[in-house]
Amino acid sequence: MNSRFRQWLDGGLDEAEMIRIMDASELPDRPREEIRQEARQKKEEFLKQEEIQKEILASRERTRWFYIFVAVLSCVCLIGVLLGLVAHLPRFGVENPLTMEVVTRYVEEGLEETGAVNIVSGMILDYRAFDTLGESNVLFTALVCVLILLRADRKNMQAGREDYYKIRSDQYYDLSHDAIMRFAGMVLMPCIVLYGMYVILNGQNGPGGGFSGGAVMGAGLILSAAAFGFDTVDRIFTLRLSNIITFVSLSFYSLAKGYVFFMGANGYDNHIPKGTPGAILSGGMILPLDIAVGIVVACTMFGFYSLFRRGCIGGKTE
Amino acid sequence: MLAWIRFFIVAAIMLFALSLFVSELLGFYRFGFVMNRVHAAGIGDTLGLFSVILALMIAEGISMVTLKLLLLVLFMWFSSPTSTHFVSQIEYFTNPSLYSHVRREGISEEELSSRDTENKEGGESAPL
Repeated sequence: MNSRFRQWLDGGLDEAEMIRIMDASELPDRPREEIRQEARQKKEEFLKQEEIQKEILASRERTRWFYIFVAVLSCVCLIGVLLGLVAHLPRFGVENPLTMEVVTRYVEEGLEETGAVNIVSGMILDYRAFDTLGESNVLFTALVCVLILLRADRKNMQAGREDYYKIRSDQYYDLSHDAIMRFAGMVLMPCIVLYGMYVILNGQNGPGGGFSGGAVMGAGLILSAAAFGFDTVDRIFTLRLSNIITFVSLSFYSLAKGYVFFMGANGYDNHIPKGTPGAILSGGMILPLDIAVGIVVACTMFGFYSLFRRGCIGGKTE
Repeated sequence: MLAWIRFFIVAAIMLFALSLFVSELLGFYRFGFVMNRVHAAGIGDTLGLFSVILALMIAEGISMVTLKLLLLVLFMWFSSPTSTHFVSQIEYFTNPSLYSHVRREGISEEELSSRDTENKEGGESAPL
């Protein structure tokens, strides 16, 4: 790679820019008249810019009514289009072969084909599982972006202010030494995590599933971090563990759904037992996929909290 | 007859809870200071919620649903006072003009305001 390009990537200055800055630092040695002239020029430029700004403001004032008119017109058009669409929708519950085909298939044969009592779970994790995989990946990508932006490593922090995060959190927000917080966390945290597991495991039988249950479990992790301190959570939940289980979940999801889609598209039986509808071990691939999605969501939730509060996941800052 | 008695008891408790919630809302939006608003919010979150759920439990009778409602009350009684406690604690530790809101017997207002100036200079608030 070109060394200048690498220099630019690392945030270094261009050679010409360096020379310009060195010239500018030698300003006071020049004759006074020259400096004054330069200052006059700068002032004129500034005044000119101010006039330009005023002109822009005036032109904005002239075109203000035009903008208001266009805004109102576009809003009215949008409202009209949406209302027209609503008026052309088929009446609720009325058979319409054009729009009801997929819905009828889901409602009538969803239980038989997916093994899930909850038709919504059957839809999002069986018929349209590809879409749900995309959503999990979006969450994971969001976590990676926040990690890049907020991680308190050498690149993201000003020199000499490395312990900025630590000082701020220690001063006001660390509640983990409080007896009330510890007791409340001790009582509430197991209930919350247990409820999250219940929601995930019953995703195919009732309302719930990976996303909602994972969010509840993430809330439990956040509560334990707030109640017992990050040191306690860091013993179990490290960045490495988070990376491993997120990667394993997402790749398991992709491989399992890839297998099912491949077999289904080629007309083979995929040999995954459906189980009795209503039991926990039912619904074919829905339960493992729910667990995978839930783990990713829980890790993402806790990762967001940890990154926003102290700038790292799992304790180790570089 | 018994159903009507039950209905009136449930309605009375519900109305009581509703009045509590109205007072909570009024206090929450009309009070100016954080501690007063936390107090108003705490009324609705503990007694108001308990009254609503008690009414629902009486309406339901003894069943699995009643047990779940009881668990709901226990959960809310653990979580809500804890959160209000920490909101007020953060306010106590971070507000430099805290004592201008406090009135207490035996301590004059000048002494209270002098504590405020001490806090502003020292940066850390001392317990009253």
